[in-house]
Amino acid sequence: MHDRMAILEDITKLYRIGGTEVCALDAVNLEVRQGDYIALIGPSGSGKSTLLNILGGVESPTTGRVTVDGERIERMSERQLLDVRRRKVAYIFQEARLLPSLTALENVMLPGAFSGARQAELRRRAQELLHRVGLGARMNHLMHQLSGGEAQRVCIARALVNRPRLVLADEPTGSLDHATRLQIVELLEALNREGQTVVMVTHDPELAARARRTVEIRNGRLEAA
Amino acid sequence: MKIYRVALREVARRRIRTLYTASGITVAVALLVATLTVGGAAHHDLQQTIARYGHSLTIFPATTHETSLQGFGIGSGHYIPQDLIPEIKRVYDAAIRAGWQQKGGLLLAEGAPGGLDIIEDPIIAPRLYEPAQVLDRDVIVAGVEASEEYKARFWWEIDDGALPAAADEFMAGKVLADVARLRPGQRLVINGHEVKLTGILRETDSPDDYMLFGALPTVQRIFDRPNKISLINIRAMCNYCPVGEAELWLNQQVVGVRATSQREIAQAQHRIFANVASVIGGFVAVSLAIACMAVFNMMMGTIHGRIREVGLLKVLGASRWQLLRLFMYEGIGIGLVGGALGAGLGIVIAQLIGPWLLPTAIIQVRLSHVGLALAAAVLTSVLATLYPAIHAGRIKPAQAFRAL
Repeated sequence: MHDRMAILEDITKLYRIGGTEVCALDAVNLEVRQGDYIALIGPSGSGKSTLLNILGGVESPTTGRVTVDGERIERMSERQLLDVRRRKVAYIFQEARLLPSLTALENVMLPGAFSGARQAELRRRAQELLHRVGLGARMNHLMHQLSGGEAQRVCIARALVNRPRLVLADEPTGSLDHATRLQIVELLEALNREGQTVVMVTHDPELAARARRTVEIRNGRLEAA
Repeated sequence: MKIYRVALREVARRRIRTLYTASGITVAVALLVATLTVGGAAHHDLQQTIARYGHSLTIFPATTHETSLQGFGIGSGHYIPQDLIPEIKRVYDAAIRAGWQQKGGLLLAEGAPGGLDIIEDPIIAPRLYEPAQVLDRDVIVAGVEASEEYKARFWWEIDDGALPAAADEFMAGKVLADVARLRPGQRLVINGHEVKLTGILRETDSPDDYMLFGALPTVQRIFDRPNKISLINIRAMCNYCPVGEAELWLNQQVVGVRATSQREIAQAQHRIFANVASVIGGFVAVSLAIACMAVFNMMMGTIHGRIREVGLLKVLGASRWQLLRLFMYEGIGIGLVGGALGAGLGIVIAQLIGPWLLPTAIIQVRLSHVGLALAAAVLTSVLATLYPAIHAGRIKPAQAFRAL
């Protein structure tokens, strides 16, 4: 276990769109410490989601180094990155993305099933997490039987099922009403207080203000850290 | 949470899409099951025909040109001397043994394993046919040797009354009995001789249904045909007896008779049916190939439409192999649905058209046919799903992420 959970060093990300080269990230340096709760803010198209994806090993930087929990990941093979994603990183999306044919409990169990966890242990862990996010009574409900806030809480439980070292949340409250948004943020804050490292992309200044650190990105560059 | 359960839940959730995707397989499998069921019934029916007539020879007087079972040479004035039967049996036995050895069969001394006694004696059933007026109707009276006749025509059953036991007792075919309103116990006069009707034969779908049967000596006496018979039916008692060889030898060596075998006719019918079945089988194969392409198109479209879901699964840690399995399980599910519906539809089609095509055959559904159809359906679906599933596994996480 490393105190420096994730380190981005001189990260540049270039995209080629048609004949034009677009710089999404330009010499970005960022350190995420164990137990951090970082809000990534910035206008649309500033590079927030690209930064999150590079942290999660979903995209590779054009140049620079990425270290997650002590492992250099920027040149890893797909198989190695899959392993990192399974063991160390979890995502929470703007919209609750659940498989509609599965119950809340089964959705929470899914990452564990992919990573080969033992069924009984996995089920117990998923049940605990659903109780933890206040959905102990809704475990066997399908997605269409849950409200938006409940579905997002299922996604949070799902993100935690493999005990990730780093939770990456991409505008997790973007599609929720104010009251539900607060519930979700309070849940993330509670998880952070228990030691969970969280990096959250948000447009909401109110939510950003509640984070321990705020990092602003403009035109692919970090403005403040 | 097992991956196959995720796949089957998805198949169940998207019922309409599943049914639509599986519809091509359903049609192809229905054709396959109907063909196998009706074809199987036809094959069985032909085997029964061969069993009835195939392993037998019919021997007519050589001077009679009429050799069909319908004509019998009745009224032709041509007969076979009854005392020629031992000679016919001697030639028949020799021909069967020679043919058996030609086919590579080992024949040792009687009593030894593989000895001569593995070839059972044939059943030799002579008949004398005579036309007569009975109850003001034109009737064919057949004189038979009861014990041999009942063995040769093992499918005979009594519909009413009992088998004739005494010399003056007769039995009537079903159609004759119905038309002439004959009843067991009734007295009949045949060519001036009074006889007793003891039984009615169950319908056989053969000329026997129109005849009156009595003991051969009695009929010979009634019609004053001592030592005369119209034909001899020889039934071989081994499955692979070289009856064709016996036919050849009898025609060459026994003067005054002509032997004919029904086996070749039945086998020719069998070959024709096999050819027709092959053509239908070809159509089924083409249908399955078309169904395969349809499922392929549907699955490719589905995967493109579900790229967000593929992306989500990748993010949640699904490997290429797990995604491949997930979509392959869906393919198996679609194949099973299509196969089960197709099997049901095929059985219904077979039950509807089978009796129309083959009125005498029993249309029986075999579990092995249903199993084969399900296997063909699943194989078709799996083949069609393979490439789309591989394609889903190859989608890059970043590409899938951009779709989220």
